[in-house]
Amino acid sequence: MIGWLLDALPLSYPDAVVVVGTAVVGFVAGALGPLAVLRQRSMFGDAMSHGTLAGVAVAFLVTGAKVPEVLLLGAAVSAALAAFAMIALERTGRLRPDAAIGVVLSVSLTLGIVLLTHIGASGNSQQAGLNGYLLGQAAGLVERDIVLALALGAVALTVVLVGFRLLRSATFDPGFTSVAGVPSWAVDAVATGLLALAVVLGVRTVGAILMVALLVAPVVAARQLTKRLSTLVPLSGALGAACGAVGGVVSGRAELPAGPVIVLLATVVAVLSVTFAPRRGIVAKARRRRARVAG
Amino acid sequence: MSPDDVMIVVISGLLATSCALLGSFLVLRRQALLPDAVSHAVLPGIVLIFLLTGERASLATVLGATAFGVACVAGFDWLRRTGVVASDAALALVFPALFSLGILLISRFASGAHIDLDSAIFGDVTFAPLRTIELAGLDVPRSLVITGAATLGTVLLVVLLWRPLKASTFDPDFAELGGLRGKLVSQVLLVAVAGLAVVAFDSVGAILVITFFVVPAATARLLVRRVGTMLVAAVAVGWVSAFGGQRAAVTFDTSIPGTIGLTAGALFLLALLFAPRKGLLTKRLAARPQPRPR
Repeated sequence: MIGWLLDALPLSYPDAVVVVGTAVVGFVAGALGPLAVLRQRSMFGDAMSHGTLAGVAVAFLVTGAKVPEVLLLGAAVSAALAAFAMIALERTGRLRPDAAIGVVLSVSLTLGIVLLTHIGASGNSQQAGLNGYLLGQAAGLVERDIVLALALGAVALTVVLVGFRLLRSATFDPGFTSVAGVPSWAVDAVATGLLALAVVLGVRTVGAILMVALLVAPVVAARQLTKRLSTLVPLSGALGAACGAVGGVVSGRAELPAGPVIVLLATVVAVLSVTFAPRRGIVAKARRRRARVAG
Repeated sequence: MSPDDVMIVVISGLLATSCALLGSFLVLRRQALLPDAVSHAVLPGIVLIFLLTGERASLATVLGATAFGVACVAGFDWLRRTGVVASDAALALVFPALFSLGILLISRFASGAHIDLDSAIFGDVTFAPLRTIELAGLDVPRSLVITGAATLGTVLLVVLLWRPLKASTFDPDFAELGGLRGKLVSQVLLVAVAGLAVVAFDSVGAILVITFFVVPAATARLLVRRVGTMLVAAVAVGWVSAFGGQRAAVTFDTSIPGTIGLTAGALFLLALLFAPRKGLLTKRLAARPQPRPR
């Protein structure tokens, strides 16, 4: 299916696989990021990534072997559970988002560590490297990973497109959504499920811990350039894809791990945009303020 | 309980005390995730010191790590104050970048050396009683001395800055205009958090530190309404978790920091359900439908 694309790129086959894979993950993360950033949930990804550890451990305990798909499924389930726990805590109205995220993050990470300790003591020879799942290895990508990423990404983007109006009103005016007849918890749940999907997509490439940056940095950069959500989503997706592709090429050339290169690239883009964006940038704001004082 | 068991409870309890004191202010300021960010951001500092000196767990390592922890909170504070980026997004931008830098440094210059990415200087409270230093002719666990000093420093800091800390937490503008140096105090708090976090990672491990910063404070927030009592309650929750967790770990023969963390989580859940006034079930029990007079 994607063979022709890999052949068409002026890169060696393994490099092409990495570049396409990281670009796809970058695009999906960038496009889904607004769901987190605009609702002050940027650190959701952080807690979900720490939550994956417990899921990986449980999946390993159940199957007794390191089958990548099964471990990823475990990671996805526990990331989603962590996310739902955060939303539930937030919705009780007793905690602010940051404290809710912090509590879920520490408890789920602790649970993961306890489970890993248990596995380590069981003496199963296959257990080595389980915690390596927190840090990705883009160089180990194969074509099958890209197909999987493309499929999951397509599902996520379809959901966003179909439910765009709902997501928009839920983002800016949750009260309106529930008055309009759609319970806000349902929208919350869908949005969170999509974010969990994005985190798990990133596990194989940039690593779960760095995924938080890929969800946030393109959105921050794109937010400086547009006010409209309908522009923000594709723009930040494109920025994410660009960072993913360029980072993939650079890391291949320099023999560096792809995840950190992509993340640093995305961070540089975000900081540049925060500083120099035409209207909302720091420089532009300072200049306006000076003009106002002078005038 | 053996002397080692007591030592583990005391070290964890002392750590819980200092973390809960600063963590309460972080929770009130909506910055509860700062310690977690610092735990990742210190990596480049550890690697740089390793590349320069070849040491992995020295005083220099702690200093290098602290430098990058402070860099993380400084970057966060700068981005936040520009007003362009929300507080949570600012944090999510800064710490992955520093963590990435650390991983790149390792893979470029230190791939031969064995540096566990997430646990280079991260100790484990289980072995804390075994690593001793000589103090006034006695063998004292290094962690006890370090956490003791850190706790003393934290208590002093909170007592000395009590009024400005409180004021800048609840009303930053008043703190600034009222001559209480709110901005400066906020920055002191951030630097103190970074420093305490690094010192504590070194002696008891990152997971326990992150947990102690957030969970007892969040629990206390559910239980009481005043800042002073919140600090006391948070510290108490920390000590109960340390004691209960250590006992549970011995009973079930599993990871001590793990069970301490889970105990703290369980206490949080209890408070969420049964806290006076605010508990989810308390409310339901109290609000049982009254027969309406006709």
